Amino acid sequence: MADAALWIMVIILAVVIVVLLQLLKRILMAATSIPPKIDAIAGVAAAGSKDLDAVAVLLTTQGYIKSIRASVLDYGGSLDAALPDY
Amino acid sequence: MEIQVAIIILLIAVIITELALFLLATIVQLFKINAGLSVVLPLVGQIVAKTNPVNPVVDDINVNLVVTRDALENLMLKKGGPDSAGLVESLFPGEGAKFLRRVNRSGKVINVGTVYTRGVGILAGLGRGAPIGAAHSKGSAIRDPQYSTSEVAKLYPAPPDRRDPTQNIPKAPVIGKDPVHSPYEAAVTPGTRTRDAQGQKIETPPPPPAPEPAPTGGGASAPPPSAAGAPADPPPAEPVPAQPPPADPPSTPGRLSAKGSRPWER
Repeated sequence: MADAALWIMVIILAVVIVVLLQLLKRILMAATSIPPKIDAIAGVAAAGSKDLDAVAVLLTTQGYIKSIRASVLDYGGSLDAALPDY
Repeated sequence: MEIQVAIIILLIAVIITELALFLLATIVQLFKINAGLSVVLPLVGQIVAKTNPVNPVVDDINVNLVVTRDALENLMLKKGGPDSAGLVESLFPGEGAKFLRRVNRSGKVINVGTVYTRGVGILAGLGRGAPIGAAHSKGSAIRDPQYSTSEVAKLYPAPPDRRDPTQNIPKAPVIGKDPVHSPYEAAVTPGTRTRDAQGQKIETPPPPPAPEPAPTGGGASAPPPSAAGAPADPPPAEPVPAQPPPADPPSTPGRLSAKGSRPWER
């Protein structure tokens, strides 16, 4: 009786080894696949950050738009005075 | 020690070794992930910091552009009147209806470019002395009406077949199917004028009187052919004027010749 119980325990341990091996293998594969993606993200983020350096030019564009608006409104006022209404 | 116990101990050792190896490999990968994230996170922080002031700047630019557009549209509406949407449509196809919606107007958008060529449109808008522009203006002509057509004559100095093709003179204005300011009215009855050459309304002419029946005199009318009873040659049909014929036009119902009495038919 004791022998049978020991053999059953051996079988259970063998099955546990196989299942555990598969699970640990999948965890390692998932962990291994993350670093390359992080490296890619780092490259894209660096390029994006560099491209966004041109955002500062928007301030210049904002100033230009304001001056253009003033010029267009002055021009429209002149046209309003020069042309007869419908 | 029994063999089963030895196998169990061996299996437990294998399990522990397996756990240790895989966990160590996983820990190494986690260290790599940590290092990679430590590189990425500052870059993301830079992106956030650089894009932070973009929204108010873009909003300000948009506000300025919208104000300018509204001012120009109001000016065009003031100067162009109902032709404004057509002008917008002629320059930016499909934008005329949007223009009308923006200025809270409704109506049919007629592409001015299909009605007038650009030169004539400019003359019509700027020079109210031009004949085509005079119809658009409420007041009198600003320029000298005697010489206002000289600009148009420069545009169209000769009929198309006699123009110099190297000068690239634009085509003559094409009147659209439904022009806004059509000087013509739809005829109530085909062939009937509602206004004369001076633009005065023409009174509706009374209906023509019904033709009176010919008086039946004693021997004036010829008997019907059936009454003769014989296939004799019919006498020449000479209409007997029961009343003096009208002077103009001559009524010649019995004429067999195609030659008319008009001067060009003689």
